[in-house]
Amino acid sequence: MRYMLLICGDESSAEHAADDSVMAGCGGWAEEMERRGVLQAAAGLRPPSDATTVRVRGDRVLLSDGPFAETKEQIGGYCLIECADLDEAIEVASKHAWAKVGMIEVRPLWEP
Amino acid sequence: MTPEPGAAVARAFREEWGQIVATLIGVTGDWDLAEECAQDAFALALERWPRDGIPRRAGAWLTTVARNRATDRLRREAVGAAKLREAAVLSPPDVPGDDDAGSGVGDDRLRLMFTCCHPALALEAQVALTLRTLAGLSTAEIARAFLVPEATMSKRLVRAKHKIRHAGIPYRVPPAHLLPERTTAVLGVLYLLFNERGTRPPTAPT
Repeated sequence: MRYMLLICGDESSAEHAADDSVMAGCGGWAEEMERRGVLQAAAGLRPPSDATTVRVRGDRVLLSDGPFAETKEQIGGYCLIECADLDEAIEVASKHAWAKVGMIEVRPLWEP
Repeated sequence: MTPEPGAAVARAFREEWGQIVATLIGVTGDWDLAEECAQDAFALALERWPRDGIPRRAGAWLTTVARNRATDRLRREAVGAAKLREAAVLSPPDVPGDDDAGSGVGDDRLRLMFTCCHPALALEAQVALTLRTLAGLSTAEIARAFLVPEATMSKRLVRAKHKIRHAGIPYRVPPAHLLPERTTAVLGVLYLLFNERGTRPPTAPT
């Protein structure tokens, strides 16, 4: 099964993103998961202030500056993983360095 | 003196329901189908046992009826072929201890119990699901125990079963290294189950 790990946190946990120990651990995680054949794709996202929200209403394309939801918790990145079941996905997520300072949401992909 | 068939069915319901549902989930991988076929088996027992006599191994009789019923229904359904393939993949191998080798515990009911009590489900959902699938309480009875309307409880159960299927919660006793943390949840639910058993009046199968 494929799961998306959503790397979530608020502004206070974002401070840790600059922390070298967290970033270094993150690098180790990606290497381990690639070796295990679990990690399919991953990326960090630029902050919500760089976001543009797109809607189409009728035949007009409406743009707005910023994220869709003005919440304190934001998605800072994602990892797409392939696991046997939820237990393995939880294990993989809990090894991610970000789990110690922020939160990781594990979402199964919609699959036929 | 031969026991009265109705009482024998009620007794089999108390003793065998959880085992039958657990086995059927193992075979089909479909929680709703498992419950429905188990219900059908008990309904058939109420009809047959007064006429044909009570089978010596009531649990085996009921399991066989329920399993045949499930096979029939999977075959009949339009998606039957696909589901049977799925079931073949999902059903645990008959080799003893293969899946549970790591934990050293092998029992269908235990597998069901640990799946119902998976920490990715809310505690209330864990308890409700265990009462429904293992103890065979009706949705109305569980709703009463939780002091919520039946419709609310019904939604909660459906949601929990959907999550088990769609989020890939494994149907197994967890491997040894996960057992300590998982066992706490199971014990908690067992305790609540015990309380519920103590307070409710005895029920006949529905």
